[in-house]
Amino acid sequence: MSASLTPQVRALPAWPLSVPLRTLILLARRNVLLHRLRSALSILGVVFGVAAVVAMSSVGEGARREALSQVAALGIDTIAVRPAPAPGPSDGSGLVLADVESLRRVVPGSVAAAAVREASLGAELGDRRSDVSVAGTTPEYARAATLTLAIGRFLCDLDLTDGKRVGVLGAAVARQLFPLGDAVGQLLRLGDDWYRVVGILAERGAPRRRAGPIRTRDVDHTVFVPLSTLGPAAGRAPDSIDEIVLRVDDGRQVARAAEVAQALLQRHHPGAAFGVVVPREILKQKARTQRIFNVVTGAIAAIGLLVGGIGIMNIMLATVAERTREIGVRRAVGATQVDIAAQFLVESSLLTSVGGVVGAALGMSGSIAIQSWADWPTALSPLMLLVALFTACAVGVGFGLYPAWRAAQLTPMEALRSE
Amino acid sequence: MSAPRGEAPLVALRGVGKSFLRGTSDVAALRDVTLDIASGEWVTIVGPSGSGKSTLLNIVGGLDRPTAGEYRLDGRLVSALSDAELSRLRNRAIGFVFQAFHLIPQLSVIENVETPLLYSGLPVAGWRARAWHCLERVGLTQRAEHRPAELSGGEAQRAALARALVLDPRLLLADEPTGNLDSVTGEEIARLLGELHADGHTVVLVTHNERLAQRAPRVIALRDGAIEPARP
Repeated sequence: MSASLTPQVRALPAWPLSVPLRTLILLARRNVLLHRLRSALSILGVVFGVAAVVAMSSVGEGARREALSQVAALGIDTIAVRPAPAPGPSDGSGLVLADVESLRRVVPGSVAAAAVREASLGAELGDRRSDVSVAGTTPEYARAATLTLAIGRFLCDLDLTDGKRVGVLGAAVARQLFPLGDAVGQLLRLGDDWYRVVGILAERGAPRRRAGPIRTRDVDHTVFVPLSTLGPAAGRAPDSIDEIVLRVDDGRQVARAAEVAQALLQRHHPGAAFGVVVPREILKQKARTQRIFNVVTGAIAAIGLLVGGIGIMNIMLATVAERTREIGVRRAVGATQVDIAAQFLVESSLLTSVGGVVGAALGMSGSIAIQSWADWPTALSPLMLLVALFTACAVGVGFGLYPAWRAAQLTPMEALRSE
Repeated sequence: MSAPRGEAPLVALRGVGKSFLRGTSDVAALRDVTLDIASGEWVTIVGPSGSGKSTLLNIVGGLDRPTAGEYRLDGRLVSALSDAELSRLRNRAIGFVFQAFHLIPQLSVIENVETPLLYSGLPVAGWRARAWHCLERVGLTQRAEHRPAELSGGEAQRAALARALVLDPRLLLADEPTGNLDSVTGEEIARLLGELHADGHTVVLVTHNERLAQRAPRVIALRDGAIEPARP
């Protein structure tokens, strides 16, 4: 009836796990589902831990991308100078056209400087109408702000001297007003005047408009026209401008250039305050803030997952105690210590993996909610989701190890005798 | 004591002892047991409570290790086996039937019968058919999908017997298999064990049940952890 024992025993593999992994997972799933409420409660810590990680790192990632795009919008070797926002109506102590020339001359390494005058005008095209920000500037602006054209041309000296009513559209404006893409050569009404479109800029991935001390121009949503066609706002001097954009030849010199520009303007306009936007400095500052944010996020995540892991360990210890008799039966019918440990490890990993998936979903919803309600930019990276899920699984293995080891240490006799 | 027939014994115990530490003193549950059981034998172990019957059976079944002496199963020195090797031996060579049935409550009857197959290394595809065959053998196929809690005592013990048989072990060990059953169902289990013995299984049985003991051709009596001289 049976073959001799000895060859049978010898024929078995040396690896002490004899149960197929698939069977272990099915078994674990059944045991998890057997106590649905208990399982659900036990993974709450992991759920919230992972949700916090995902939501907070999406906020961090969003902030990082925004900082990058803000900097990209101006260029890494560019600075922008504008009067500091002052309460009440402007007293006329702002920038004037002459400042552009003196900055170009004095600031070391400057390669391009351009004046900008701003207005927000209604753009009209047939029955399409929307408010756009219009920037009156000089041809040098393209070089100073490192603009790239998608089609057509930028403003030229002739446009400026002749006061030609021509416009160059930011990518988003072009998309909005000319969805069919045939913008160049078309007429567009800005305020009370008609402008001919001569070029469209390449998409820049511009920063979102947000209140704050630092403003950078959203190139994608701007129409550029010759400075001479856009007069200063009412009550301002005829040569007043709103911003000077300056580019230096060496990006490492921007901080020095900003200092010189600041000092020069202070001398020309005593009593006035100017803000100098240095994208490179913004980037550095944001990176510092980002590091602090990352450390705080990491610490919260670690605490969350630690609490979650302790919850899992607690429930697994209870499970092992409750199922001691079953462990004895399994040992009696041939389960090795590794088989028993694997059974409980797979169970705890399954619990935390489910917690990880639920937590990731919750975190993603949270990130979307933060974006839509608090208007903070968020960004989800797939890598981060993978890391969160992997961490959840690792928490299951890590905190399941001790209960599994306890289960495996029971001798068959002890386990069978337990009540 | 030697095996009745001249071949090498399946179970060979030489001076086996087992003592437990209770408090600060050692309590001997088994003393110097020397015993051979030949392949295909039916042996019943009898004795009063605390005489060491179950301890002896657990050592023979590889659930417990002796603290003295030597135990060979089919010529293999059991005390020298690692935990994994001993587990494999229990899986492939030994079928255990307990007084308390020891079915896993959250599994169905057929899943309980399949449990040893989990650890057998045999392909999953054949498990169900094998378990079903064993349920047929003990006449319990109609209860295959039931939970242990839904079974009568006799049915539960038949399920446990099917589980013990599922890997067709040479050695079948039963510890008071009728202890929790009434006389009719007890008789039924005894008849099944008889059939299995007739099929070629080596059966070692611990019992208090006089009628069950009388069925066995060979009875070993234990008293205070030692084998009593053969009855006249």
